Amino acid sequence: MDAATFAAELDTHRRYLLRVAQLQLRDSDIAEDVVQETLLAALGAQAGFTGKSSVKTWLTGILKHKIVDAIRQKQRQPIFEASFDEECDLDEFDPMFKDNGGWESPPADWGDPENALSRRQFFDMMEFCLEKLPPNTARVFMMREVMELETDEICKELTITANNLWVILYRARMALRLCLEQNWFAGQARGA
Amino acid sequence: MNALLKAIGHIISCKDASRYVSRAQDTRLTGWERWKLRMHLKVCAKCLRFEQQLRFLREALKRYKL
Repeated sequence: MDAATFAAELDTHRRYLLRVAQLQLRDSDIAEDVVQETLLAALGAQAGFTGKSSVKTWLTGILKHKIVDAIRQKQRQPIFEASFDEECDLDEFDPMFKDNGGWESPPADWGDPENALSRRQFFDMMEFCLEKLPPNTARVFMMREVMELETDEICKELTITANNLWVILYRARMALRLCLEQNWFAGQARGA
Repeated sequence: MNALLKAIGHIISCKDASRYVSRAQDTRLTGWERWKLRMHLKVCAKCLRFEQQLRFLREALKRYKL
């Protein structure tokens, strides 16, 4: 791949990288900085791109490190100080379940969900649902599922316990599942 | 359905099972937890569906990146 093609290719992934950084950092200035650093690093390391993975996956790998750096640097600043406590308490009342632990409203039939994976609109809806998550929950969830950090790395970076982490990830999955069920799969299953 | 199987499956509630299902995506459950979850999923179609949906979500997030 020549330099111009490579630069153009990087540019096409900019929007995606920004969304990911924005979802995790919840600060558009810092997100912009992080993406710029990622693209700069990518330009300087074109040789490091082996072509084994997609350019997007490779860029996401670089972005992961830049985001972790940003979180590390800014951890003591107010925007990152929002307490995790309120987002990781699991013993409170959970409206998804009855008192006896049974489902209040059981998971609905999603029909053949695989079909959704070929629809662009589905991923737009997923972004919408991710944006609705509480900030810390979204940050942790993206670190785990999009950046694919191991749980012990996340605990170390954010200085939270494994238990807190599991609770946050559980909450995120429950909320994302419900949001997609209500906004995407409702009505799709029957039509399929 | 075998009453014994049903009783074993309900050692944990759906609420507990849903937490196990999520945690299993992040760490290896203990042997006892895996057993309780496995038996619960044998007798509870709702939680089995929940488990499949969480797997689908993980796959969807992976595709989001590719």
